[in-house]
Amino acid sequence: MIGKTRRKRTWFVAAVLASGSLFATALPAHAETGVTSSEIKLGITLPLTGAASPGYNKIGNAMNAYFKYVNDNGGVYGRKITLIQKNDEYSPQLSIAKTNELILKDKVFALVGPLGTANFTAVHKSVGIARRGVPSLFLNTGFSGFANKKAYPTSFTILPSYAMEAKIAAQFLKENFAGKKLGLVYQNDEFGIDALGAFKAAGVKFDVSVPYTSGTQGSATAQTWVSQLAAGGAQVVVFFGVTSATAALLGVAAAAKYAPQWVLGSVGSDPLILRALGVPVAVLNGALTLSGNPSPNDTSDEYVKQFQEINTKYNPGVAFDDYVLQGMNVGLMTVQALRAAGSNLTRKGLIRAMETKGSTFASVAYSPLGYSKTSNVGHTGYYMAVMDATGDRKPYGGSAVVYTTDSGSGPVVKSTFKRPAMPAKGLPTNS
Amino acid sequence: MESWRKVRDVVRKKIALFVFLGWVLLIVGDRVDELRVYQGAQIAMYTIALTSIVLLTGYSGQVSLGNGAMMAVGAYAAALTLNNLQTPIWFAFLMAILVSALFGALLGSAAARLAGPYLAGTTLALAVGLPAIANQFSFLGGEPGLIFDVGFPPERFGEEFTQYKWFFWIASCIALVAIFVTSNILQSRFGRTWRAIRGNSLAAELAGIHASRMKVLAFTMSSALAGLAGAVLAMNIGLVAPGAFTLALSFGLVTGAVLAGISSLPGVVLGGFILVVIPEIADVIANRLGDADKLNSYLPGLIVSVLLILSVIYTPNGPGENLRKHLRKKAAH
Repeated sequence: MIGKTRRKRTWFVAAVLASGSLFATALPAHAETGVTSSEIKLGITLPLTGAASPGYNKIGNAMNAYFKYVNDNGGVYGRKITLIQKNDEYSPQLSIAKTNELILKDKVFALVGPLGTANFTAVHKSVGIARRGVPSLFLNTGFSGFANKKAYPTSFTILPSYAMEAKIAAQFLKENFAGKKLGLVYQNDEFGIDALGAFKAAGVKFDVSVPYTSGTQGSATAQTWVSQLAAGGAQVVVFFGVTSATAALLGVAAAAKYAPQWVLGSVGSDPLILRALGVPVAVLNGALTLSGNPSPNDTSDEYVKQFQEINTKYNPGVAFDDYVLQGMNVGLMTVQALRAAGSNLTRKGLIRAMETKGSTFASVAYSPLGYSKTSNVGHTGYYMAVMDATGDRKPYGGSAVVYTTDSGSGPVVKSTFKRPAMPAKGLPTNS
Repeated sequence: MESWRKVRDVVRKKIALFVFLGWVLLIVGDRVDELRVYQGAQIAMYTIALTSIVLLTGYSGQVSLGNGAMMAVGAYAAALTLNNLQTPIWFAFLMAILVSALFGALLGSAAARLAGPYLAGTTLALAVGLPAIANQFSFLGGEPGLIFDVGFPPERFGEEFTQYKWFFWIASCIALVAIFVTSNILQSRFGRTWRAIRGNSLAAELAGIHASRMKVLAFTMSSALAGLAGAVLAMNIGLVAPGAFTLALSFGLVTGAVLAGISSLPGVVLGGFILVVIPEIADVIANRLGDADKLNSYLPGLIVSVLLILSVIYTPNGPGENLRKHLRKKAAH
């Protein structure tokens, strides 16, 4: 019995000593997370598979292609950029898990282009992006809620917000379709509701309003959308949803011989992907869509031309469309931001660089960038484009008339902004 | 008198053991990096969920594939309570337990007449259908879900005390208490009654046990535990969305329970550990094979399914049981 007590005591003492020694060892200090002398690690969460993935799943590889091009040409102050893609299937809960992996396991320096409104809202709160000081650049969402610099101090948007887009669309609708019956199909979360609110504020009344739940888009649900629109007699239908939902809607409408004037939101309207998803090109002909960039087929545009060359070499086999253009543009902006932060690269430095120099960056989009110490908003404008019989996108009325506005009650004004020139060979030299 | 003293000693030893475990976890939590602490919180969550399966399937013999659905009920109850009534966190957890217990009682009374594959099928339907209901009612948040924010650790713990560590502390504490309580219940008259029902329901009835009432009780308690696990899950990821309660979760839980020993309570920690480790292993494999991101969506589910099939064929009572038999054989020689 004494032996037993002695053994128990020994175990107890051993445990105390062991645990005490664990405390004694100090944790080692570390350099800036995700940056070494030869590498910068960046992370992105986006839907690579799943219902919402068509089109968007090309963005990561497009960004990677651009980064490889830059790496082959000296990188950023000698450091190579590594982009880690994580598939979140557009599910906010998966976005949280994958972002946790990026920040805690892969220890990335910054997030670039994370996709999805509900996704980033959940991630920002749950993972604590602001608290950890992780820069999240060029969010791939237009939710106007992210424009709040106080709530999202380390995040920067790039796309004009859905509210801005709706305001510009509203003006166009009033000028060109006054008196016609209007229909609206929108994704029933912050993405679509953002636009809906702006339409309401702009005084646009929809005769038929059809919300859909993200993830439920398909030909079956699209049948219900089309029957509601047709029953309501909508002559002009505005759509704010993801590409796979656009495809479902247009495909079913074509089969039902329902052909209103389509006005497609910028997020879900790439003609190439829509055709790949089975939408006949005849249906796309004449569809109006808001766009911020030149058409990806417009090789007279210096940005498009350069990006196409990079795509052919570094992203072989992938057709150059809106998503590839967008991805490469985000890559271009990222490299400029990293350069502007200097060779002594820190997270705080990157955020400061975005605030002070971000508005001067070269970008393919036509509208000015709004980054400043008080604003984390990127592009602020759109022009109306129309799709032609070949499925290409041309500016409505011949030349792109860009309108800019804000996400609030500011007016919609014609823009006179001129884009900065594309850096030579697509390689930024800014500092 | 003698037997009461024995019982009291056993309980005292148990309390001491759990306190010691809690202390060890505290130390470990301080030492490992944040990712491991977060995974520790997930292990604790799975442990609670597996406890519910051990109670329901291991002890009362009712096969349920719907524990994922009960976790969802608990998680939504907790989130709705916290967001709409602004109660303290512990009250939200309490509501999770109560609401899922209620659902469990309802489910149990419906399922009491079913057994074997019919019960499994019914609960499977529940597992598939219940989370999707969230999409139908806007107050449940739809696909994006409801935020569940338990807040930050108290200031006095200092700056270095991250939120994930706080989750780890809370989750481990809850897990320890849950296992302690369940262990006591399983070693009591209830546990013996359930095992009798599992062994032979008819014989148990003849011995005076009200089988269907006890079965409903098992469902109620098991659902309460599952609901608690769901609330802990909600705390860990900060979000309650249907995407968190997929069929894969229910299958994962069953696999974890079978692997860990379906009627063995100590095994639940091992089971929880396995469930958290599987995605890590999948990650390593996916990286070796290339095209990591796409593979990662499918691999964990595949591994779980394969493990489940293998374990049902080779170790239906869990590898622990096989090991024990093996050791007994050796001892007999």
